[in-house]
Amino acid sequence: MKKKKFNSLERTESRTAWIMMAPALIVLAVVAVYPILRTFWLSFHQMQLTDPGSGYPFIGLKNYIDIFRDSRALESIGFTLKFTVTTVVFELLIGFTAALIMNKAFKGRGIVRAAILIPWAIPTSVSALMWKFIYNDQYGLFNDILYKLGVIDSYKAWLSTADGSFMALVITDIWKTAPYMALLILAGLQMISESLYESAKIDGANAVQRLLFVTLPNVKSTVMVALLFRTLDAFRVFDLVSVMTGGANKTESVSLYAYNNLMKFLDFGYGSAMAVMIFVIVFIISLLYMRAMGDQLSE
Amino acid sequence: MNKKLRKNVKNILFYLFVIVFVGIIVLPFIWQFLTSLKPMSEISAIPAKWIPSKINVQFYFNVFQKHPFAKYLINSLVVATCTTFLSILIGASAAYALGRLRFKGKKFMMMAILSISMFPTIATLSPIYLLLKQLNLLNTYAGLVIPYITFALPLSIWLLTNFFSQLPRGFEEAAAIDGCSRIGTFFRIMLPLIKPAIFSVALIVFINAWNEYIYALTFMTDDMMRTVPVGIAMFPSNYEMPWGDMAAASVIVTVPLIVMVLIFQKKIIAGLTTGGIKE
Amino acid sequence: MKKRVKQTVACAAIVAMSASLVACGNSSSKDESNGKVTLKFSFDQGVGEPTQKIVDEFNKSQDKIQVETVLLPQDANQVHDDFVNKLASEDTSVDVMGLDCIYVSEFASAGWLMDLTDKVETSNMLEGPVAGGTYDGKLVAAPWFTNSSVMFYRKDVLEQLNAEVPTTWEGWMELADKAVGTNGIEYGADFQAAQSEALVTNWVEYIWGNGGDVFDESGNPIVDSENNIEATQIMKDLVDKYAPAGITTYAETESEQVFKEGKCLFIRDWSGFWSSGQDEGSKVSGKIAATKLPTGPKGEESHTCLGGLDLVVNNAISDQKKDAAIEFISYMTSKETQKKMTLISSQPPVIKDVYTDEEILAEIPFYADFYDIIMTGKSRPLSPKYAKVSDAIQRNIHQALTGETDVKTALTALQSGLEELSKEK
Repeated sequence: MKKKKFNSLERTESRTAWIMMAPALIVLAVVAVYPILRTFWLSFHQMQLTDPGSGYPFIGLKNYIDIFRDSRALESIGFTLKFTVTTVVFELLIGFTAALIMNKAFKGRGIVRAAILIPWAIPTSVSALMWKFIYNDQYGLFNDILYKLGVIDSYKAWLSTADGSFMALVITDIWKTAPYMALLILAGLQMISESLYESAKIDGANAVQRLLFVTLPNVKSTVMVALLFRTLDAFRVFDLVSVMTGGANKTESVSLYAYNNLMKFLDFGYGSAMAVMIFVIVFIISLLYMRAMGDQLSE
Repeated sequence: MNKKLRKNVKNILFYLFVIVFVGIIVLPFIWQFLTSLKPMSEISAIPAKWIPSKINVQFYFNVFQKHPFAKYLINSLVVATCTTFLSILIGASAAYALGRLRFKGKKFMMMAILSISMFPTIATLSPIYLLLKQLNLLNTYAGLVIPYITFALPLSIWLLTNFFSQLPRGFEEAAAIDGCSRIGTFFRIMLPLIKPAIFSVALIVFINAWNEYIYALTFMTDDMMRTVPVGIAMFPSNYEMPWGDMAAASVIVTVPLIVMVLIFQKKIIAGLTTGGIKE
Repeated sequence: MKKRVKQTVACAAIVAMSASLVACGNSSSKDESNGKVTLKFSFDQGVGEPTQKIVDEFNKSQDKIQVETVLLPQDANQVHDDFVNKLASEDTSVDVMGLDCIYVSEFASAGWLMDLTDKVETSNMLEGPVAGGTYDGKLVAAPWFTNSSVMFYRKDVLEQLNAEVPTTWEGWMELADKAVGTNGIEYGADFQAAQSEALVTNWVEYIWGNGGDVFDESGNPIVDSENNIEATQIMKDLVDKYAPAGITTYAETESEQVFKEGKCLFIRDWSGFWSSGQDEGSKVSGKIAATKLPTGPKGEESHTCLGGLDLVVNNAISDQKKDAAIEFISYMTSKETQKKMTLISSQPPVIKDVYTDEEILAEIPFYADFYDIIMTGKSRPLSPKYAKVSDAIQRNIHQALTGETDVKTALTALQSGLEELSKEK
């Protein structure tokens, strides 16, 4: 008797859930599904737009097999992974610190909170150009400051070497997106009830212990979600690389290479396969995050 | 006495840290701001010149006189606001279901929703263009809001789901006893509870929509419908690289966002202590 | 039951609200059809203002055709991508386009361009641009304006050193050795070597000026020739010993900035720099002179790399619109319009007679010399696969210039890359 009642309760709950999700699912299905299916379809065809005479035949998995034979594609994946890991780690550290600061009560924190969002508020099309200007070997701000601080003894052409370009890209990306991390983690910090800290204090926990045993566990899932979205974005980095280095000095990101195949070489088949592959890698990354997040979301 | 001194030192160190931190972050912006006020001849001076020898506001006039920049601002504002509003509205209810309700296939749905935002934009650009064209939505606000939803909605759903699931158990039961329906509970109890999180998410979605470039470039071909990032990208011509105009424009664009943050400050940082959650 | 109604209502409310919001602000531009044919003309902001003036005059000059302009950012890649997105889906929202001449073969092979043979008068045009607008024996693109590069140098420095204008790279290097350190000159050379299309335009000039080429007459790649190795080595020596440290990151804007600050002996740049290099804020106004590009030891004549925009017609539009498009293009390429465009835009025209027009010469005296330079101009390889050819050149040459590989290895790699490309169907 009791069991039956529970079952029907569960059924109502599940029906409510689907009703509540319906608007979102409908909107997403209408806008996003067709373009995505089309990309999959194209990736199984040989479709070089400059060769309409071929009739764009179905070639199965050939495009995908080609990716693994294409050293340039593999190098771009390598660079992108390196870039993603480096930026996301730094953004987490900086974002977390910033969030802890903003969560404190102190004079002028309103200004700090607004200021921290500035990098993010400048359109990428402007900020990428601005940073390229900053790294310039003749009149760049970066050289000017480092020189005045005595870090370097002459102006350097940062974007002309592989290491310099990588560093420049990483710094710019961190500058631009650490605020995003900070804002999200801040929201997570605010969800932690004050009473938890109070009781920890009563139990005699010091500041470090409170951070480790109250703050961290409670903010973990928020951090994971923030990390997930940052990772997805970092792995698909495009604008930044395209404006600042154009892929020179071994900084061709996988999105940039996919873009080159699609829009420059007009190889819609191979380009679509690269796009799908980016999707698959990103999907696997998401699954890993999902697993790390554990039961928090999936009960 | 000694304790007080130690506290003071600690405070000073803290502020010092904050100032350096914020300083590094806003430095490029300050540089942009100073650039926007420099006379033309000092903009690309070698070595770089920090303080303009005289204040020149011509670039700010240029931005509005040479281009319909006010219209760009309005367009961006409308599109970003609609996107934010819609994705929070639609996203919050889905997130509530995913975060609080029990049903089968939850994990799958989470992944499905997320995967929609994982596709590289360039691959989906031309089919979306065709779709919008058939719906006669090119050069309309809706024609930009709809594609923006594809990245804004999964983002808001995921973030909000996380915040919903962090709320302590037992609210729904209490509400049910009071005779509240599930959906009633959602609107009357749950939404107000995660208000600060909603404002944070709204801000994130807003800025993402505000910054978007490639969709706006492709779907808005009419000059009067362009958004700010595309508008600024239209500044350079064969005859000049208008660094001054661009600096002025990026200052103009940043200011409303700062004002918005300052206005919503209290809402974003409301904290839960006022929300009534005390376990 | 009651609960369910409530749920449905709430749900419907959300959907309705979303719908009404989405609908906010529908402002589609309507076609006013008072018997006129409306043409959409899309091109980049680079020449936005002067072109708008010309288009306005065309609209006033007759009452059958109304041309509306659709502007794109001044970035060759973005313009290309925008056109591809539309043409690949047989979109007809754009009728006439201003297309960078390097993309003509690619677009034509995809079948996107209308055949203009015998419809547009080209006999009075410069031969180079016309050849560039021809694909498979058919004229598919009408040259609109051209572009070619020039050596701009500091005539004040040369005068002070009492030096002749060099005609070889060797001569320029010797002069640079003397000039650096005088008159604020810090760098002997300035050009564009960022990994981009600009690098290709620079590099082909070195090899052409040393008797080399990218492909032979039957289309086989010949980039690893002695001439090319020597030419590329000259470019590398300039990068290493004479140019600013960041030269391998410079496109036009960056290189021009350093020159305008008065730090360089010469700059290789597009002809338009003649006026933009002497605008407000430039420290070298009145100190610039122009000459043709130098040659290498094995070269007899230097060749400038031709650029510029062509007018092309979307092949998917109706015949009525195509006829209107031809009329519009004929207007744009007529001598009077070309002269007007040159006067207000300082873009080099494609009609030969304009270069000798007295009014033009009074306004831009530099055109007297420039005509000879532009007549030596060559086009970059015309191929439907140009994007891949260019990409291979950019990557390999850039690696050689940054010192990541040596010149010979880079050219061998480029050779095999291009050989593979020509084998591909």
